[in-house]
Amino acid sequence: MEQRTLWSRMMSIDRRILYLILAVNIVASLMARVAIEPDVPPAVRNFYETIEALQPGDMVMVSSTWSAGTLAENQPQFEAVLRHLMRKRLRFTIISFSPPARDISHRLARRLTSEAGYVEGKDWAHFGYSPDIILAIKGMSEDIAQAIRQDVRRAPIQQLEVMQGIKSLKDYKLVVDITPSDTLTAWISYRPANLNIIYCPTSVMAAEAYTFLDSKQILGMITGAKGAYEYEQLLGIVGLGTRFINAIQFSHVLIITFILLGNFAMFMQRRTQA
Amino acid sequence: MFDTTQATWAAFWIIGAFVLFFALIPLLQTLPPRGRYMLIAVFTFISGLFFAAEFFLPVNEEGKNILTDPFQRLQGSLQVITALSLGLGTYGLIRLHLRNAVQRRPQWGYSLVLLIAFVTMAFFSVWNTLAEKELLGVQRTPLLERAFTLLFDYTLIQLDATMFSLIAFYIFSAAYRAFRIRSIEASILMFTAMVVMIGIVPLGKFISDSMGLPTTLTDEMRTNPFMLENILYNLRLPQIANWILNALNAPVQRAIEFGIGIGALAMAIRLWLSLERGIN
Repeated sequence: MEQRTLWSRMMSIDRRILYLILAVNIVASLMARVAIEPDVPPAVRNFYETIEALQPGDMVMVSSTWSAGTLAENQPQFEAVLRHLMRKRLRFTIISFSPPARDISHRLARRLTSEAGYVEGKDWAHFGYSPDIILAIKGMSEDIAQAIRQDVRRAPIQQLEVMQGIKSLKDYKLVVDITPSDTLTAWISYRPANLNIIYCPTSVMAAEAYTFLDSKQILGMITGAKGAYEYEQLLGIVGLGTRFINAIQFSHVLIITFILLGNFAMFMQRRTQA
Repeated sequence: MFDTTQATWAAFWIIGAFVLFFALIPLLQTLPPRGRYMLIAVFTFISGLFFAAEFFLPVNEEGKNILTDPFQRLQGSLQVITALSLGLGTYGLIRLHLRNAVQRRPQWGYSLVLLIAFVTMAFFSVWNTLAEKELLGVQRTPLLERAFTLLFDYTLIQLDATMFSLIAFYIFSAAYRAFRIRSIEASILMFTAMVVMIGIVPLGKFISDSMGLPTTLTDEMRTNPFMLENILYNLRLPQIANWILNALNAPVQRAIEFGIGIGALAMAIRLWLSLERGIN
């Protein structure tokens, strides 16, 4: 029977041991009180400054199409964005393009707005779930009351105090798209020309959006929970992004370390065999 | 306030859609395969033509053409189709697992768990929606509040998040086993990935600061790209990571998206003209 060397053993570590190491690393990182100041990238700074440039009372559409699967990345973004909007005393409406996203965003928004003294229907509204994003955007670009009709509580759109002076998306100043799905291209293609977009994707979706940042079709972007942390630093708040960042960065370090270890073991194994 | 006229119309449309749907199935079954194919092809072509024409026809000062209003009304029809497909899916799921449980097929216990979970969640979700929208006089009660919070916030959301989070463990294991430097291309890929992974997190800034690299870009550095400080500033990990994402990643993504776009257009034309073999 062939004797197994240290290197061959290293190359075939039981996956359960790897899972345990990662789990311990994540738990320890979440508990660690290490605070490293970020280097805020231009995309996040532009995201922040786009909202800062708005005037109190301006209207913002929050397109929230994420569910529990990407909660760790999209919830920090959602919370930080809503806090910023409320700090600036902006009016906002939320719309979702998947049923679970409607429930999650509505429940979260109710909690956050009640903390800030925002009243549903007066300062903000949730338009509920719309099955087709293209039709919804095209419809809202013409007449929101006609396209959406009722908010999530069945209150007629035209009777909502928050909608005073707002007929269509042309009267909005900004769209914030928070999503792990491909809703951004629909917003870019079908929004009214005067409506600016800022984007909150998950980390895996961010790479595709750099073309839109480059062409200024989106003005800013916060990438996953890491982006939320950088954004929270600009806002001066401690949110979920700040709590998650150590787990993210130390997991990156762990993955890199193990990839290097695996390659070193492969190199040594080949050398031993030669 | 519940609008009875609106409710009557809604009921009329829903019943009408169901009658039409269930009448169409036997009608389609009686047709020979060739006739069935032609009928579907004609409907597909007309529907596609409608959407294409709405997009391409010239618009007036209000941004509308002759098809804009019917196009808006289609949103309601799509909701009906979505609801119908959801109903069909639910029916199929219940039928399959009910049969598994009743006939005690292998692993019938899982089917039973699914059925119990489905019925419990559906019951409290419908109750919660009725109470939330004040329909049929249903009121919110402490039992409903507790049960829905337990099922939705503390069970469904957590399970969903857990399922997705498991991917991190698979990625870690797969990266360790499969990411081997066996060629120049693999080396470049691994080096780039490592720089981006560290450069985009705060640790990248920490390492660059610890190495004594300049932290800010002064006006003088901007005007002179060959200045040593400028070169050193651009060697900071966050700067390298941003450069990779903006200067290398973005053009490649654009090229890929162009390719996908052309492919999608070709596929759309094939589907529209019923040339795709899948629907024959």
